[in-house]
Amino acid sequence: MDFVSISVNGTELAGPAEPRNLLVEFLRANGLTGTHVGCDTSQCGACNVLVDGKLIKSCTAFAVELQGRSVTTIEGVAVGGALHPIQRAFHDYHGLQCGFCTPGMIIAALALLQENTKPTEDEIRAFLAGSICRCTGYQNIVTAIQAAAEQMESGNV
Amino acid sequence: MDYARPTELEEALLLLKQKPWTVLAGGTDFYPALGAGPLKQDVLDINGLPELAGITETDDHVVIGARTSWTEIMRHPLPPAFDMLKQAAREVGSIQIQNRGTVAGNLCNASPAADGMPPLLALDARVELRSADEGQRLVRLSEFVLGNRKTALRPGELVTAVHVPRHATAGRSSFVKLGARRYLIISIAMAAARIALEGERIVEAAVAVGSCSAVAQRIEGLEQALIGRYISNISELVVDYPLSELSPIDDVRGSAEYRRLGAREIVERALLQAAFTDAERGVAA
Repeated sequence: MDFVSISVNGTELAGPAEPRNLLVEFLRANGLTGTHVGCDTSQCGACNVLVDGKLIKSCTAFAVELQGRSVTTIEGVAVGGALHPIQRAFHDYHGLQCGFCTPGMIIAALALLQENTKPTEDEIRAFLAGSICRCTGYQNIVTAIQAAAEQMESGNV
Repeated sequence: MDYARPTELEEALLLLKQKPWTVLAGGTDFYPALGAGPLKQDVLDINGLPELAGITETDDHVVIGARTSWTEIMRHPLPPAFDMLKQAAREVGSIQIQNRGTVAGNLCNASPAADGMPPLLALDARVELRSADEGQRLVRLSEFVLGNRKTALRPGELVTAVHVPRHATAGRSSFVKLGARRYLIISIAMAAARIALEGERIVEAAVAVGSCSAVAQRIEGLEQALIGRYISNISELVVDYPLSELSPIDDVRGSAEYRRLGAREIVERALLQAAFTDAERGVAA
């Protein structure tokens, strides 16, 4: 058993982990259950998180690999109890149905809008290739991300 | 299982000398292959080794460190001969996979459908290997990947970098992947082409095809046929060439015959994209 310490959403998350424990397992075992396990085979993106700002799937990393790194999960997206513009747009534009993929979608959208503030529809769809939704047909997810991008650009949030 | 994350290359090589380890870089092939059973392999995490990070340029080589991710390849300024490698990088899995997965890992995994293979073959890449006892050796990529999931890696050896010799970085290049859908798909066939021109005459050609044989192949007969001809001759030369280097199989992704037809088409497209700009080909930007 190793002792792992990771900065999660700006707070130190420390605890025991076996080397074989995946990052997503470590997060969920420590109460951060917003990060979902969909496929467990690096395909669906329900477990998307940011590591040092970069989008990865948390089923594709051991917790021990992330020692000392900085991780953002869905729990860290809203600031001070107020929804992030991306979360607000998913709500306003009905960018979800069952909601299982939503944490991963919002983290993916956050990664996209950090590097491309005005993505086209094609760019959004290409970026979301590794984040799978089985309900919506993606249309409202794309619309929500476009709306969030506009709001974030105009500063009208 | 043991997990080790050495911070010095010498330490990693000494560990590899002691017993077999599964080397972990991006993990994008490693994790999905785990399945539901408990993990029993000993894992050597090379992400703490600074010597293996990033892309460096020497007088005669471009050196891609073994930890270099596909995203880093895409974002690093490189000559147009590397455009095919950057285009392949965009086709590897999804953004999440490109952020973690490494070029060297793609080669070590030795899948017939490895997206990195055709472009790196067309760049005459060499694989840098190190071990505690034998020091460093450089192996041509075509002699490193030996078959489906089979490489020339010896016990105790670690892939530390991929070298692209300067002589293979002339000209422009392009990569075309044929898959059953646009994204997140394992290739049915893929082609990488690099050509150097004098005016409109082809003076150098490198063409490689993947997913149509156990190991991706350079199409040397076609390369010879192209040299000395003009870019306006490309289509007729590709149509006439028998592609005898390929030995495609029937599988769940496509039949051998479909692969043969597809390979010819994408070889032509890759060559035309390398030879002409989008504007010259009448493609809207």
